[in-house]
Amino acid sequence: MDQLDLLKKDWKKQESSLPKLSFEDITKLIHKKSSSIVKWIFIISVLEFLLPHLVYFLVDFKKGATKGYLELGNFYIVINIVFYTIVLVFIYLFYRNYRSISANSNPKVLMQNIIKTRKIVKYYIWFSLSMIPLVGGVLFYKAIYSEEFLEKIPEGTNMMVVWGIVVLVLLLLVCVFYLFYRLIYGTLLNKLKANYNELMSNGNGESLQDI
Amino acid sequence: MTKELEHNFVTDLEKHQNIVHKVCRLYTNSQDAHNDLFQEISIQLWRAYPKFRGEAKFSTWMYRVAINTAITLFRKSKRRVQTQDFDTVLFKIQSSEYDDTEEEQLKLLYKAVKQLSDIDKALVFLYLEDKNYTEIAQTMGITEVNARVKMNRVKGKLKKILNP
Repeated sequence: MDQLDLLKKDWKKQESSLPKLSFEDITKLIHKKSSSIVKWIFIISVLEFLLPHLVYFLVDFKKGATKGYLELGNFYIVINIVFYTIVLVFIYLFYRNYRSISANSNPKVLMQNIIKTRKIVKYYIWFSLSMIPLVGGVLFYKAIYSEEFLEKIPEGTNMMVVWGIVVLVLLLLVCVFYLFYRLIYGTLLNKLKANYNELMSNGNGESLQDI
Repeated sequence: MTKELEHNFVTDLEKHQNIVHKVCRLYTNSQDAHNDLFQEISIQLWRAYPKFRGEAKFSTWMYRVAINTAITLFRKSKRRVQTQDFDTVLFKIQSSEYDDTEEEQLKLLYKAVKQLSDIDKALVFLYLEDKNYTEIAQTMGITEVNARVKMNRVKGKLKKILNP
């Protein structure tokens, strides 16, 4: 006899040994807090949306940076309009996808929806990361070529070295953000990734790339 | 309205709670973890309940949400010390109709199933619950052919675990 069939024969017998929860027990249970990964993905994603803004907010308070910004004139206005339009589009997409995550769907669809939501946040992260060298570069450019700065540095300083440091600092910032992001989702989504790949692995299913 | 909805839901869940307990037994190794998963599945069921429109049987819908929670949504709580030989206690065969060899074999089988991956466990669970391949495929969101292929692979894996 097939081993699984042997197990099947026995499977129903265990019902008598299963715990029995009362109506009151269950009522209490359903009002407790969920520890679902979706909840955590949602919380972390919202933080990810907010965090870069907090950084900009703090930077804005530093007089020098504000001055630097303001001196940029039209560039400052345009980049803000573009930036916030893109952020709003991201927030809308993220919220729409998050709403589509429901335990009612089958595991395949559920996992796909979680991954889709993650992808939106991933694209947002890439967008934020690319803003660091872009905005940072312009600000540094303004700062480095400001009179104040040029007066302070010793004469004959090689500007290439200054720019080298700037590039390094910006790269470091991008790396820190990137590692932070990998670390959080690595632990949160590894099981999901593995399960999704396994469910879809039969030659005909799309395999999960990087999320 | 909400009170009535909650009352109906809890009544249904109380009636069909065995399904959830069985999923918990397959996916957890200690009583604490079992309780945690049971709680999470109950919460997920209650959240999804307003969208459950009775297009499927309550129990069929429960299978889907319970499996979803076990393999996708549930974050295992901090690693706990595993109860020694919990499986043996858990699945102690109470019936006397089995001889020792069969009892021994069943113990090994349950242990082998516990070693399978999350997805394989879900397939085995549905199979043990007497679901046919059409139902298994629908519950998991894969094709029937895929379900059959996977089930055969699971059988192979079990054989390998049992006869290394």
